[in-house]
Amino acid sequence: MSDLKIAGKYYWHYLKRYWRGFAISVILIAFSTWCIVIAPTYLGRAVEELTQYLQQWTNPATRGQASLGSFNHTLVIYVLLYAGDAASIFISSLILARVTAYSTGTMRVGLFRKMQRMRVQYFDTHSDGDILARFTSDLDNIFNAMNQALLEILLAVAQFVGLLIVMFNQNVTMAWVTMASTPVALIVAALVMRKAGVAVNRQQDDIGRLNGYINEQITGQKILITNGLQQDSLKGFHAYNAKVRQSALSGQIWSGILNPLMQGMSLLNTAIVIFFGSWLALNGQMSTGAALALVVVFVNYAQQYYQPIMSLTSLYSMIQLAITGARRVDEVRRQPDEVNPTDGLALQGIDSGLKIDNVRFSYVPDKEILHGITIDVHPGEMVALVGPTGSGKTTVMNLLNRFYDVDSGRITFDGTDIRRFDLQALRKNVGIVLQEPQLFTGTIADNIRYGDPTARMERVIAAAKQANIHDFIVSLPAGYETEVSDEQSIFSAGQKQLMSIARTILTNPRLLILDEATSNVDTVTEANIQAAMDNVIQGRTSFVIAHRLKTILNADKIVVLKDGAIIEQGNHAQLLNENGFYAELYRNQMVFD
Amino acid sequence: MKRLIPYFKRYRRDVWLALLSVIVLVFATLWQPRLLQVIMNAIIKNDQTTVLYQGMLLLGLAVLGIIGGVVNTIYSAKVALGVATDLRADLYAKVQTLAFADVEKFSASNLVVRMTNDINQVQQIVMASFQQITRIPLLFIGAFILAVVTMPEQWWVIIVMMLLIVAAAVFAMRRMTVYFGQTQQDIENVNTVARENLMGIRVVKSFVQEPNEIRKFSEKSDELTAVTAKIGYWFAILMPIFFLTANLAVGVAVYLVGQSITTHPGYLAAITSFISYLMQILYAVINGGFLMTFAARAFISIGRIDEVLATEPSMQYVPDGTDHVSGEISFEHVTFTYPGDDRPTLRDVSFTVPAGSMLGIVGATGSGKTTLAQLIARLYDPDAGQIKIGGVDVRDLPEKTLRATVAYVLQRSTLFSGTIAGNLRQVKPDAQVRQMQWAANVAQSAEFIERLPQTYDAPVEERSQNFSGGQKQRLAITRGVIANPEILILDDATSALDARSEKLVQEALDRELKRTTTIVIAEKIASIIRADQILVLDNGRIAGQGTHQTLLQSSAIYQAIYQTQKAREEGLK
Repeated sequence: MSDLKIAGKYYWHYLKRYWRGFAISVILIAFSTWCIVIAPTYLGRAVEELTQYLQQWTNPATRGQASLGSFNHTLVIYVLLYAGDAASIFISSLILARVTAYSTGTMRVGLFRKMQRMRVQYFDTHSDGDILARFTSDLDNIFNAMNQALLEILLAVAQFVGLLIVMFNQNVTMAWVTMASTPVALIVAALVMRKAGVAVNRQQDDIGRLNGYINEQITGQKILITNGLQQDSLKGFHAYNAKVRQSALSGQIWSGILNPLMQGMSLLNTAIVIFFGSWLALNGQMSTGAALALVVVFVNYAQQYYQPIMSLTSLYSMIQLAITGARRVDEVRRQPDEVNPTDGLALQGIDSGLKIDNVRFSYVPDKEILHGITIDVHPGEMVALVGPTGSGKTTVMNLLNRFYDVDSGRITFDGTDIRRFDLQALRKNVGIVLQEPQLFTGTIADNIRYGDPTARMERVIAAAKQANIHDFIVSLPAGYETEVSDEQSIFSAGQKQLMSIARTILTNPRLLILDEATSNVDTVTEANIQAAMDNVIQGRTSFVIAHRLKTILNADKIVVLKDGAIIEQGNHAQLLNENGFYAELYRNQMVFD
Repeated sequence: MKRLIPYFKRYRRDVWLALLSVIVLVFATLWQPRLLQVIMNAIIKNDQTTVLYQGMLLLGLAVLGIIGGVVNTIYSAKVALGVATDLRADLYAKVQTLAFADVEKFSASNLVVRMTNDINQVQQIVMASFQQITRIPLLFIGAFILAVVTMPEQWWVIIVMMLLIVAAAVFAMRRMTVYFGQTQQDIENVNTVARENLMGIRVVKSFVQEPNEIRKFSEKSDELTAVTAKIGYWFAILMPIFFLTANLAVGVAVYLVGQSITTHPGYLAAITSFISYLMQILYAVINGGFLMTFAARAFISIGRIDEVLATEPSMQYVPDGTDHVSGEISFEHVTFTYPGDDRPTLRDVSFTVPAGSMLGIVGATGSGKTTLAQLIARLYDPDAGQIKIGGVDVRDLPEKTLRATVAYVLQRSTLFSGTIAGNLRQVKPDAQVRQMQWAANVAQSAEFIERLPQTYDAPVEERSQNFSGGQKQRLAITRGVIANPEILILDDATSALDARSEKLVQEALDRELKRTTTIVIAEKIASIIRADQILVLDNGRIAGQGTHQTLLQSSAIYQAIYQTQKAREEGLK
């Protein structure tokens, strides 16, 4: 499907509910157009009447009959027509402003709702910046285009049509004269726009490369300084900058030249109309008054004639952006939702155990990550997953609460495939502590009761105490009511992890998955986290994805993964005795006297 | 704006041509109604030759207008691009002279925005200045004068029209400015919720908070929608008022012409031109208003650029001095506080590292380990005390000597995009493949580099993302050792290496860089256990100093760290 078609469908989806508003606007705009195109004829008539008046007045014989009555009358109509125009434009702008604001709002919330329904896979395969850009710049472009283009396009089309009708009504020859330069203007516009498209693309590429260079270098300024590379960096910059100067110049010229060219065409067209009109006035069989009126009216038309064309060309790039924006937002809209079984089973707890049964899985077709994993877990057991980066540890976690679904094999709770449970019920019973825990804007208390916003303060404090973070929180001036956000660094990396543990403790999940923090935590803080983890694991079935072995020495079962397969399984003592991969890993991480 | 003047001077010819062509364009636009008036008079007098002659003039004038517009665009673009690229180059050069503290003060991402978005704003406003801003006042004044000349009695009609329009605009803008401010805040709120949900999508899903998040987002989004609608309503009323006022003015003017036509019969031919001038004035006022808001944004950008250009580097190097020092390091009562902090990060730190020996530094996160290393590399200067390399205060070393003496490898020091060899030659411009191989062997990177199809000429992508974490660190160490520095600082630079590789790196360093003083900052005791000397930092103070063995006896903190990493089964070896 072409972008245009996709964008068309997208707008249709969100705008069709406003059809009444559009219908009223179109009628009002048609009316205003009628006012605008008719008004100049009244001005012309006024001039004609004034000429007659002057002639009568100049002639002593007719001076007595000379009257300005009809002239005044015509002027009143002229002003009333513009008042009608202003009123109808006002009302239709009002309607369209409302439609624009509210439909963009609906699009924004729609995009967010969709985001909440989509599969995790989408977020894993698209950068945050790219998805966020759809909320910001793409919706912005859509809004801007609707805000400015909707009314302008309707007006331009209506004006153009109205103008043509009235011109041909007035004087066919002059109408053709006014239109004569149109093909030239259109060809010029098309040529310039094509040139501009190419030039601007090249310009954007070069600017992109320059910005990329600047970003990399300045972000690495510490490396530049400590290696004394500032002059080298400047040399590299000049090469990129010089390229931008060249390509941006032609981009700027080609995209900037259309407007003056069209204005020039309008000037030329007016000149042609005056020239030809006055020739017609002198050589046709017309009274002086009628001839003057003809010129006045068509000069007015000639000045108006190019306005719709000009406003459409100046809107071109904006519309282009809005089409791309709609395409990008719509792409999200068409992503598959998470699969939640109809009549999903309720999940109360895990009584007889959990089994990962010969599970195979791949993120990308034909690149299998897990090659038939089987792990049997009894209720209340702690299972540790160990293995090098890329071995599939985190993937197991992704499968347990259905961020992803298995390719083959199955995962069962008490013998029931987890895909048969209601998705929400499943996730409420599976608690996760992530390696990089996200905090949300709000108070500390809000963050701890994130999974259960109605939780009383006693429960919040109890959870914080169990997670070893209570003392720190009460040491803050505002305590539990301290406002936090993910970007603010009230918490160190380790404390953030503790917050995440507290948040999970509060929801009291049956199955717990802990993805251990890897870096940026020193070993003393780590011991603190370890204590909190021991608290939360107490009495629950749990999976711990371990990066440091120290934390999992007490696990009931340690599963060693390598390249997507289980290579060793057992408790710490058993695995040390095997003297295989695990024992080697253990020796590497620990200090021995 | 003053900041831009020297840049305009460099493009004097282009500036003049742009201005000249805009005057030509304005002349063509404003003179057309004038000629029309002459033609109308000729029609009244039935004067064929004048009509023909003036008609030709009219066509010529229009062509002149087109040429003026095209020439103006070309030279405006030349000036705009010239000023913008030169300004960007000066900005970049300035940033390269700044001390690291200055870069931190602005923050890297902020500086990048100034060099990209803000410069772009300047380019757009310069372009608009020569295309529009010079034209608008010219058009306005020209149209006003010509309108008054055309019908001197009606000057007050024009003034009243303008006053009404400006009053309406000012009234509406006042209200809208409030709403604009509110929109910014609302947009930020909406984006915050969206961003948090994006980054924490797993948290949201695993706590089943989708409905709550949607409710939160809808609230914020509805606030934004309401404000944008309000702004839309104000715009909706503004434009019709402008045009209605202008057309009322036309009506009044024509009416007045009618009342006095017997005394000024010539006005009959002037009506159309007068209306044209009125409309020109109206457009000039409207466009002027739009450009003013545009310019306001550009002024903010210029201010932000100016702020960087006006910054004096907070650190200066002596122009010349000794070009070689030994690798001995000594800290004498060094205290350091980060700009903006109220508590010192390092307090009264003193120690000495003999040339060629190895120093290990351990301590909790935030204890000041990295800060200490950064002072050796003179990324910052201490508040009190002295740091000496080879007996010379680092502040008395020329930049070149300091950089040649100290190689600093950070935990996240990636290579720059380009090739591996290109990165290595940045540090050692005359490096031969043989020397690269030597460095790569030391850093244990040779094994994967030499397996790449292009070996040392292999490409490095942005943020070195075509290499794994461990490979990145080994590449960074390769760059650190290639120039065989007197001092090598490894700041948590082996954290992503497995124990075997790390051990091989250390052995190679011992063997190949015997003269080099090595400072290793690490979380893992295993990384520094062999050091000649170990510093234990706690809250910016030295809490222990000695070898592994002596510290186990003397330092409680060191013991605590060791305990967390110590294996329980001693017999395993």
